[in-house]
Amino acid sequence: MAWVYLAIASLGEIFGVVSINYYLQKRSIKRLLLIVGIFGFGFVFLSLAMREIQMSTAYAVWTGLGAAGAVLMGILIFKESASVKRLFFLSLIILGAVGLKLFG
Amino acid sequence: MAWSYVALAAVIEIFWVVGLRYSVTAIQWTGTGVAIVLSFYFIIKACEKLPSGTVYAVFTGSGAAAILLVDIFVFQAGFTWVTLTFIGLIVIGVVGIKLTTDEQVDTEGGG
Repeated sequence: MAWVYLAIASLGEIFGVVSINYYLQKRSIKRLLLIVGIFGFGFVFLSLAMREIQMSTAYAVWTGLGAAGAVLMGILIFKESASVKRLFFLSLIILGAVGLKLFG
Repeated sequence: MAWSYVALAAVIEIFWVVGLRYSVTAIQWTGTGVAIVLSFYFIIKACEKLPSGTVYAVFTGSGAAAILLVDIFVFQAGFTWVTLTFIGLIVIGVVGIKLTTDEQVDTEGGG
């Protein structure tokens, strides 16, 4: 279950970063509260995941999936370029996360 | 000045990650919340002056390494080389992706 929590926490990070960009476009209290709400949601699940998964492992996977998700979203939704370099780093993250899940 | 914001954010980040893992009392949870807000504040401040991908790469890269050291030296956690290798792969991947994000923004003339 802890790994599911960790995946949910990463979603919080991905959408949290989207909400920061949304806030920077127009600085309003409502948009600021949206950032707080989304990240808060993610942090609750990160905290739950850390009850079972070691702190550094959980943190690394959380950031990794967050960054990988943001890039995938950029490529798939915002049509950013999928350069070989980016796909290479993306696969390193996925390899690391899967490795930690299986052998960590 | 902007880089000292990044350093400050990274140091504060160690406290909230430890807080998320070990907080029990209401005061500890409040402190964790305050630390999260502070580290985000400094990151946003730094991003006003520096490319955000680079800021984020340095922030997470140093954060992940620092938290690993805290785990090992403060909480006496044991790590196998296999675990360390996979954590290392993730950190390299995140730093690499964030740095190429800035390259992309540059070539598109935005940012």
